Amino acid sequence: MRRDVFQAIADPVRRDIIDLLAEEPLTVNAVAERFEISRPAVSKHIKILSECGLLKTIPKGRERHCVIIPKELSQVSDWVEQHRKLWEHKLDAFEDYLNELKSKKSKHE
Amino acid sequence: MSESTDIEKRTITIKRTFDAPRALVWEAWTQSEHIVHWWGPKGMKIQIKKHEFVEGGEWEYTMMMPDGKEFRSFGEYSRIKAPELIETTANFIPMTEGVTLVASFEDAGEQTEFVFKVIHPTEAYCKQQENMGIYNGWGSVFDRLGAFLTQIANR
Repeated sequence: MRRDVFQAIADPVRRDIIDLLAEEPLTVNAVAERFEISRPAVSKHIKILSECGLLKTIPKGRERHCVIIPKELSQVSDWVEQHRKLWEHKLDAFEDYLNELKSKKSKHE
Repeated sequence: MSESTDIEKRTITIKRTFDAPRALVWEAWTQSEHIVHWWGPKGMKIQIKKHEFVEGGEWEYTMMMPDGKEFRSFGEYSRIKAPELIETTANFIPMTEGVTLVASFEDAGEQTEFVFKVIHPTEAYCKQQENMGIYNGWGSVFDRLGAFLTQIANR
């Protein structure tokens, strides 16, 4: 199965994990404590985030902490930005047409 | 994370002030004779296959691209509150599927305050990524076209 950033954020729990880890790096156990779902379920989400290139674990003393790789997330905002442009174009076209229509109508009056 | 912030994250909101009274804006936005003039990229003819402007009614517009491929957009009106609000599902093949469009029109005398929202379904993010290649292709078609038109206009 393909793993990418869009798959990473497709799940609400994973988005919450990203939000949580964006504030501070935590161990898998510490992350699991914040959720009502089971620890294995949290582990699975963390594994997917890692496979999507959005998260890595780094050793800190005897523990391993999960940290978010923010660079990958920018793909999402890039995508949203591209989409926005497309709609802006459409609304520009609408506005142009509207102005045309308005001047046409005022000539008829 | 609350549901509302979740929706915000997958919503594109665009606000515009149109220099026309609301009745005219509403007319231009909702009547098929007008839609043909602005729905597609400039200079491109679209065909209105279906336009049932009632709640539960379906719409479908198609357009031939310069490369011979057909661009198809269709959806179903989920809410119409004339002349204030239109909510519809929308699919743009081959770019986007399952988005909800919300257009609201606020009367401001000789002007109209317009708010447009594109709400993306969460699951669609995956699909989006897969379609991104194609999507980028579309984007460049639009850009080329825009540049071309500017050229013509400046002649």
